[in-house]
Amino acid sequence: MANAIMVSGLTKTYQDFVLDHVSFNVPSGSIVGLIGENGAGKSTTINAALGLIQKEEGFVSILDREELDRDIKEQIGVVFDGSNYPEILSPRKLNRVMKNIYRTWDEQVYLRLLKQFSLPSDKQIKQFSKGMKMKLAIAAALSHHSRLLILDEATSGLDPVVRDDILDMLLDFVQDEGHSILISSHITSDLEKIADYIVFIHEGKVVFEKPKDELTERYGIIKCDAAQFDALDKSDIIAYRKMDHEWQILVSGRDRMQKKYPKTLIVPATIDEIMLLYVKGEK
Amino acid sequence: MKGVLVKDLYIARSNILVTIVSLVVLGFGLTFLLETSALLVLAPVAATTAVFISITSDAASKWNKKVITMPVSRNQIIGEKFLFYILLAVLGLLTALIPCMVLACFGMDITLHSLLLYGSIGISATLLAGGISLPCAYLFDPEKSQIVFMMSFMASTGIITGLVLLINLVFPVKENILPAFGIVLIISVIWFFISYRIAVTVYQKRDIN
Repeated sequence: MANAIMVSGLTKTYQDFVLDHVSFNVPSGSIVGLIGENGAGKSTTINAALGLIQKEEGFVSILDREELDRDIKEQIGVVFDGSNYPEILSPRKLNRVMKNIYRTWDEQVYLRLLKQFSLPSDKQIKQFSKGMKMKLAIAAALSHHSRLLILDEATSGLDPVVRDDILDMLLDFVQDEGHSILISSHITSDLEKIADYIVFIHEGKVVFEKPKDELTERYGIIKCDAAQFDALDKSDIIAYRKMDHEWQILVSGRDRMQKKYPKTLIVPATIDEIMLLYVKGEK
Repeated sequence: MKGVLVKDLYIARSNILVTIVSLVVLGFGLTFLLETSALLVLAPVAATTAVFISITSDAASKWNKKVITMPVSRNQIIGEKFLFYILLAVLGLLTALIPCMVLACFGMDITLHSLLLYGSIGISATLLAGGISLPCAYLFDPEKSQIVFMMSFMASTGIITGLVLLINLVFPVKENILPAFGIVLIISVIWFFISYRIAVTVYQKRDIN
C-alpha cells in the first residue's frame, strides 16, 4: 500500500523542546491518529510536515512528493484548531476568495456542504459558534477535491454532538480509497472511533505507531495489589502506576498475560489509559 | 495571489471607503486654507493604512498560518501585500486628484508643477514608510504593525529631508525642486523594491506557528 504521508527522522529543536527523529507513515486510504499530551510535539510534527516551520533533519513526503508545490497543495486540505479565516468574511465571500486561490475549487461542492452543515452563507464568520467555524473549515478543506486531509486538534473544544458530526464527515471522506487523513488530537475517544492507526508522541519522540485494533485488542491493564505486583515478571510490564488502593500495570498480549497470571484481573485498555500509563506511569 | 488580494479588499473595504470620502471632503475643505494639491502629500499615506488593518486581521485570525497550506507561495504572500500597498497608494493619489481637477475646472489655480511636486513627495513618503513598516510587520509582531507604520511614516519624512539636503550639496534644490524630488522618488522606488526582496528572503525561512 502506498503512503499518503511518509515522515522519517523529522527533527526540530527549540529552546525548551526537541522534536526528536519522528518517523511514521500515513498509508493511503487510512485515518492515522496522532496522539499525545499537550506539548508532546503533535502540532510541531504537522507544522514541519506542512513546511510551516523549517525542519533541521529528516524527510517528509506528501502524496509522493518531497516538495510541497502548488499542485500538491491543491490536493491537501488542512484544518487547524479554529477556522483561521478572517472573521469579517462570510462563507459566501470566502467562496470568492477561495475560488481565486484553488484552481480545483468546486463552488457547487462548497455550497452543498454549507447547506448540509446548516451554515448560513451570508453571516460573518465572527458570528459563528466554534462548532460552526470548524464545520466551515472542513467544508472548505473538502471543496477543492483534496486527496489528503490534515487536521490539527480540529475537534478540541467542541461539544460531543458537533464532534460526532465531524467524525462522520471524516469517515465519509475516507470511503474513497484514494483519500487519507492525518488527525492529531488529545481526545483519544474520537480517534478510537475513526482511526486505523495510532501514532503516539511523547516528549517529542514517537513511542509507538500501531494499528488501532492491535492496541485495543492486545493491550490490557492488570489491576492488582502490591503483593500481586511483586509477583509479576517485570519484563512483562510496559508501564505501571500506583493508585490509591491498587496498582495498574500496562501489558501487551492480554490473552497470553491472562493465561500467565490467571488470578489477576486484566481489563482491556483504552487508548486514553495506554497514553496515561506511558506518560504518567513508571517503567 | 488574486484570491489573497480579494480577501484583503474585503477586509479593508470599509476603511478604503472612509479614506476616499475623507480625502474628497478634505480636498474641497482645504481650498479655504491652502493649496488643494497639497493633499497629494497626505493622500497616498492615508490610503495605505488599510494594509496594516489587513495585516493585523491576518495575525488575529491566524490566516498567516492557513494561507501557507494553500497553493500560494511565501513569495506571493509577501508580494501581494506590497502590491496591495502600492494599489492603495495610487488609489489615494487618484482620489486626491478628484477635488484638484474639479476645482481646476472652476478656475482655481492648480498647476501641473504643484501636482507633480506634491505627488512625488506623497508617493516618496509612502514608499519609504512602506519599505520600513511592511517588512517589520512580517518579521516582528504583526499586532503592532499600525504603530510601526506611524513611526515609519515619521522616519520617512526625516529620510526625505536628509535626501533633499544631500541633493542640495550636488545642485541647488530651490532652483531645481522638481528634479530634486524626482531623484527622491526614484530612490524611494528602489528602496521599496529592495525592502520587498529582503522581506521575501527572510520570510522564506521564517517559522510560522
